Amino acid sequence: MTHKRTISIVLGIMCFALTLGICVQVRTVQGTDSTVSQNYEENNLRAEVLRYKERYENRYKELEKAEAELEKVRQESTQNNEDLEAKEQEIQQGNKMIGLTEVTGPGVIITLSDSTRDANSVLNASELLVHDGDVLSVINELKNAGAEAISINDQRLVPTSSIVCGGNIIEINGEKVGAPFEIKAIGLPEQLAALSRPGGYLEILKNATVGVELKKSNNITIPKYTGVITYEYAKTVN
Amino acid sequence: MTITIGIACFVLVLVMFMQFKIVNETDITSIENMRETELRTELANWKSKYDETNAQYEEVQSTIEEYKKTKESNEETEKLVDDELATVNMNLGKTDVEGEGIIVTLRETDNEEISQINADDLLVIVNALKLAGAEAISINDERIINMTDIVNIDANTDNLFVRINGQRILAPYIIKAIGNQSYLESALVGKGGYVDELRTIGHDVTIEKKDKMTILKYDDEITTKYIQ
Repeated sequence: MTHKRTISIVLGIMCFALTLGICVQVRTVQGTDSTVSQNYEENNLRAEVLRYKERYENRYKELEKAEAELEKVRQESTQNNEDLEAKEQEIQQGNKMIGLTEVTGPGVIITLSDSTRDANSVLNASELLVHDGDVLSVINELKNAGAEAISINDQRLVPTSSIVCGGNIIEINGEKVGAPFEIKAIGLPEQLAALSRPGGYLEILKNATVGVELKKSNNITIPKYTGVITYEYAKTVN
Repeated sequence: MTITIGIACFVLVLVMFMQFKIVNETDITSIENMRETELRTELANWKSKYDETNAQYEEVQSTIEEYKKTKESNEETEKLVDDELATVNMNLGKTDVEGEGIIVTLRETDNEEISQINADDLLVIVNALKLAGAEAISINDERIINMTDIVNIDANTDNLFVRINGQRILAPYIIKAIGNQSYLESALVGKGGYVDELRTIGHDVTIEKKDKMTILKYDDEITTKYIQ
């Protein structure tokens, strides 16, 4: 009789634990699930966000067309004058360096991913995640190794780019990107690959059990910056 | 009795797995899953992006028109090309710029228990300033350009020094940033501000607001070999 009672109690506790687990899960999902949290105002807002996004995207396409046309017109206007032609080349080259045009070349692709290890097996689960500081350090090391153009999940780095942590995701150029982070860099592949040198930052990350992969490539394409660089406070002085 | 409990357990486990799957499949960056405050930020974000793009579009259009008008005159075309080149050089950091902003000064500490300010600290501060909309930044007059690196040399010795753009930089570190004074300052002080953190552990950091200051240009050739 006591035996049966023990079983009942154990089963009771198990059921209770499972129910608790489900309650926690349901609450988590409620925080994100659209079908639970939608209301009238949010739907309105959502529609407006999408409308503005579309307006932006259309305008951006027109801007791209206009920029291509400007390039053509500028080339035509400068082609019969050596001096002007040289300046035209300088403009083109400059825009590549800043990140305003797409570039190709040899380089490396580094992929940083959150660890696949069970978060319960370590004391500090945060160590298993890729953080903004990690990405910032890898980018800095790439610049040190002579990178000429860099992108993170296709967000091109321009002089005003910043990298910030925003919860489970990071923000680059104000755009949210999530792990895995694919960092592309153009430069001398051998030199860029030296990032994986002993004591280098990639090794530190690996020891912290973050997923790190480095691939050399002879043909990497890095997209242009999809924003606009403007100045509100700074003025050129001669 | 046992069968009932068994079935109950099975159902519970099943529900849990379903939940796990939903959580895994939920894309937290997708618009469907945003809350009101997030949506408002997002809306403001797209609006400002639209406005920026629109302004840029109109500028490019007018430049195209001007090129078409001046096609016959080399002199006038030259002015247009020079204007465009000036913008490119400003973006590259090849011109001196002036404007309002802040100056952050980090002095060497006498306190032997805390480590000296190093490249990692400077990197974090520069990143925070960029996030706050800094339009030009320099550290000890080394201009921060797109591919500027800030690294520690001899990091494991007592002779640690910081190198920026390949130049050796010594304390005190004077970081100049042009942009909105309040935005720039609030990116560094207050809750979670990096300058506040440095002060808490005992570093001597001052922030000075300037209504007008000059940031020097990058004083070297910027060359590229691999991008096409």
